[in-house]
Order: sequence, then structure tokens, then C-alpha cells
Amino acid sequence: MKKRIPHIAGALAILFLVAFPLTYNGTDYDYIMHLWIMGLFYAILASSWSLLAGYAGQFSFGHMAFMAIGAYATGLFSNYVYLSSAATNICSEFKLGDTYLVFLEPIGVTIAKQSCLNIARSTWPPGVVVTQPSILWGILLGILLGGLFGLLIGALVLRLRSAYLALFTIGFSEILRAAINAEISITRGQAGLEVPPLFPDGITLLGVTYSASNKVPPYFVMLFLFLMCIAIMVWLERSRFGLFIRALREDEEAAAALAVNTVRYKILVFVTTSMMAAAAGAVQAHYIGIISPNILILLQMSIVIAMAVIGGLESIVAAAVGAVIISFSLEFLRTSFAVGPITIDMSTWRLVFFGLLLMLTLRFRRNGLIHPILLWFSRGDVKQETVAKRVADCGEAELAEVEKLL
Amino acid sequence: MIRLEVNDIRKNFGGLQVLNGVSFKVNGPERIGLIGPNGAGKTTLTNILDGAIKPTSGTVYLNGKRIDPLPSFKVAQAGFGRTFQVSRAFRRMTVLENLYVPALAMNPTAHQQDFRKRAMEVLEFLTMDHLRNEYAQALSGGQLKLLELGRLLMLDPAIMVLDEPFAGVHPTLIEIILQYINLVNEAGKAVIMISHDMDTIFSLSKRLLVLSSGDLIADGDPEMVKKDPAVIEAYLGQDEEDEPLDSLDG
Repeated sequence: MKKRIPHIAGALAILFLVAFPLTYNGTDYDYIMHLWIMGLFYAILASSWSLLAGYAGQFSFGHMAFMAIGAYATGLFSNYVYLSSAATNICSEFKLGDTYLVFLEPIGVTIAKQSCLNIARSTWPPGVVVTQPSILWGILLGILLGGLFGLLIGALVLRLRSAYLALFTIGFSEILRAAINAEISITRGQAGLEVPPLFPDGITLLGVTYSASNKVPPYFVMLFLFLMCIAIMVWLERSRFGLFIRALREDEEAAAALAVNTVRYKILVFVTTSMMAAAAGAVQAHYIGIISPNILILLQMSIVIAMAVIGGLESIVAAAVGAVIISFSLEFLRTSFAVGPITIDMSTWRLVFFGLLLMLTLRFRRNGLIHPILLWFSRGDVKQETVAKRVADCGEAELAEVEKLL
Repeated sequence: MIRLEVNDIRKNFGGLQVLNGVSFKVNGPERIGLIGPNGAGKTTLTNILDGAIKPTSGTVYLNGKRIDPLPSFKVAQAGFGRTFQVSRAFRRMTVLENLYVPALAMNPTAHQQDFRKRAMEVLEFLTMDHLRNEYAQALSGGQLKLLELGRLLMLDPAIMVLDEPFAGVHPTLIEIILQYINLVNEAGKAVIMISHDMDTIFSLSKRLLVLSSGDLIADGDPEMVKKDPAVIEAYLGQDEEDEPLDSLDG
């Protein structure tokens, strides 16, 4: 029964997450929904990073780079790719059956310039249809590109461990940030790239119509993505994949000597977790509506790492729970307060408290704060089992001797 | 029929020549001791056989298949198993999980539960069944050695190299290791043991290989090797004319 409690709690948590937006009716509804969406977003990042770092031992600092790849892939796709029933003859375009896949030229920072598509439109006769491909294609492209970059980085870091791996992945992340900043005419750099909402025309769910800016549809999309990612990761963790990546975390050479194809599993874990980060990034980009290279700054990566560490690095679920709790805490800690004449500006100081919590966790609770609770349920009886088996195996004489000693 | 052919293996690390053309063959379920002073090249030779490092030159064939260019996991899949001088159990994994790793790696379509019975048999033989759900980091040094041997049973290789299986192990556990060696050898597997424990290695081995400074200086019956002047000199630094000492008797 004890071992089932986490499962029951998990099922109840899912029920709560599904019911919450339909039942909560506080005046701060939008704000709380926003916190939940961001909490689930960070939960995907922290739990996938825990699979990469906690299970496979690959301390990558490039996880946010994969998130950014997903975000920018779908952002650029939404801004630059159109479908037209007639050729523009001035844009870059490919004929796909009766339709043209049209790529716009760089939009630049100021959108004063007319796009090639608009110029073509002015010359077209009535009846030419121009549409944008479904946003889903952009998200899928982001996930695919995240996986491809994960494959590339996974292959490049095969021989790198610990500090070298960390430095390499920081380098990758910084290169990506620099490239996004440099290609300002395409990405709009720090000005930010606008990304359309997940459902530009709104959506009707169970008879209720939600507008494009309503928080409920993106909440359920993020929740669905989160549950998918957790389900995949838990399944992987319990399969040979989970066993092998933990073996390569413990000792890569010994795992290889025991017939484990360490190269395959190292690359696979990079690809899997990169795809999840990219998916989270892509959905979040459509939810927020604008992306900039700041999503790649090291502080963002540090927050994800801290969430995973505080929750419990070696548990997907603990990292996810930690991410949600800390995501909420960071918001609730924004409220400034006064100590005598001194006002504590919590918008800044909250990060100091957060950093302290991280340091204390690393010093005193290396398994995190949530993971030990889960371990108590799943492994709490192991010690008693071991002792009981030992006593049962003891002969009576041996037992008598042990009793004498006691 | 197990057949391992090691042909003229050389290995340099920078300017250091660690192995100078080592050649030997293993035919069938032999029980071989590999000895040599520190720095003789025993572990380097094991690492080359295992595929962890590549030789500078020379070839290794296992049952007619060339294995020296293969990565470690393919060498293991080809039927070569090893333990390490310093135990390399997966410490933050349970004892059972340690055993499942090679079993699943060798059987791509199998599941953990398919090997539970076998793993429990192995643990009972190693007198560790009560520890099955403990993390390996909770085990003693001797138990970690046993766990490594257990993993080899799950890997089920045709030939195994046991690197210092008795080092730092309590006598009661040594008994189990000796039983283990007898068991796997009688089951038709070739066993190569590396040890500095001369008593045990001389009593257990039917054949001895002696490495010294990267050269295979002796290969044969332990009694004959014991009296080999080159071996005595390598171990004791004595002249050939000196009286052969019984020191190598342990």
C-alpha cells in the first residue's frame, strides 16, 4: 500500500491540474493561470534536464539552447512561411502540387518595408488564396530541429565529461545567442520576434469558445505536453534505456565492458531531452507571443538547474514538482516588505533567497527536497527487508551468537 | 570451443612502450594466471583485449573473429568479459539492477523480469540475495568484488579476465570467489586471473603467463614457470646463477 501512495497522489495531481482551470474563479484567474502555464513549462525543462543530468550524468548547460531552438524554429516559421495558390515570382518559393510554399525575405527590425508577398498581392487578380501553415507544423519543426541539434551536440560531446561537457554546452548556448543577436534582420534580435498565439482564431472546447488571448487553451496544451513528456520519461526510465543511462552515469567504461552500447544511449538521451526542451520552448513562444535572445541567458539555465536540484536531480517527478513549487514561489516572493525604515525589494532579493535555498540543498540535501519523500515511499522498506532476510538466513546457532553480542 | 589468439600486441603511450609484442593463445576452457610485477602491462593487456584501448599494432581474434578494432561493448557481445582491479560496480544502482545491465545488454528484446530468477540464483550463489534491493554503494569492498563477478555470470562470456579478484577480500568471501572460478571453468569458460596473491594464483592456475616490462617472459605450467630464471629475476631482481628461491611459492 505504501508504495502505491505516490501513484495515487500522482493521479490526484493530474485530476487537480485538469479540473483547476474549470473550477477556479478567483479575481486573479489570469495571473494564476499564467503561473501554472509557466510552472508546467519549467517542469518540462527541469524534468527533462534531470533525465539528462541526473540519470545519464550529462551535465549539460545547453538545455535552454534547445528550448530556444524550438521557440525560434516555430517563431521564424510563423513569420516567414506562407502558402499561396499563385506564384509571387518575387519571393523565394517552391511549388507543392497546386500550392506554392512561399518564404518571405528578412523582415528587419523596422517593419516599414513591404514584404514581397504584399507586393505580389497587389498584382494578383482576385481569388488568390494566401494562408499560413498550421502552427502545429512550426512546433513540429521546432521539435525536429531540437532533436537534430541534440544529435549533433550528443555526438560532439561523446568524449567530454564533467567540466569539459559543461563548458562545451555553455559555449554552444552562447554561440546560439550570439547568432540570434547577429542575424538581427531575420530574428529581430533584442527587439524580439513576434509569434502568433497558439489558436489565432480562438478555439471552442466542450461548447465554450475561448478567444486567442484566453489562458485556458494554452494551459491545456502545456499540460498535455507536460503529461506526455512525463509519461515518456517515466516509461524510458523504467525500460532498459533508464537502466543503461544510469549505468553510463555511474561508469561508462564498466557499462561498455558489460555490452552496453554507451554511444547510442548517450546520443539518445541528448536527442530525447533536447526534443522535449524544444517542444516546451515552441509552445511557450506561442503562449508568450514574443521571443528574444534573452531566453538563452545563463540565469535562465541556472533557474532550471536549481529547480531540478532542489526538487531532486535523480527523479523526473521530483524535478517537475520542484519546478512548479519554485516557479510559484519566485512569483509570490515578489511582494516587497519593510523592516523598519528599510524596504526590502523582493523583486531582486527573491533571487538571493532562491540562491541560498539552492546552496543549502546542495550542502545538506543532495537528493533534493522532494526526491527523499518519494524514496521513502518506494524504498523505505528496503533496510528492514535486508535485515529480515539476513536474520531468516541465519542458523539458530549464529542467531544465538548474535543475541549474545547484543 | 573457445579460441583466443593474441598476436604480437604492442602498445605505446607517448614514448613509453608498455607492451612489446605479446602473443599467446587460449584454447578451450583453460584456467590461466597472468602475473607480473607492477607496471608489467597486465592491465593494459586486459584493456586491449576488452577493447577499451586500441593496440599500437598486433591483432586479437576471439573464436575466429577479429576483436581488437571493436568497441568494448561489441567485444563483450562477442564473448569477452572482465572485472576491474578496483571494483567498478554501479554504486547508485541496486544490486539487482547491476545484474540486469549485462543481461539486458546481451538480450535486446528481453525485459528485466525475464532475468529475475537467474539474478536471484546468482545472488544466492554469491550469498548476497538479502542485499538485492540495496544500492551497491552500501556494500563492502569484498561484496563489490562479488557483485562484479555476478555481473559476469549474467553477461555469460566465453572467456573472462578477473583482475585482482582476491585483493582486499575477506577469507570467507575468497572461498566464494574460488568456488565461482571452479564453477565457471567447469561450465566450459576460459578464465584468466590477474593477481599478486602468489599462493592462490599458483594453486588455481593450470597455466601461467608472466609479463615483465611489457614482454611475455614465460608461458607454461606453473611449476615450470616458478623455476624459470627470467621470472625469478623479474620478480626478485636476482641473477640466473643464484639459487632459485621458493619465494614464488608464496
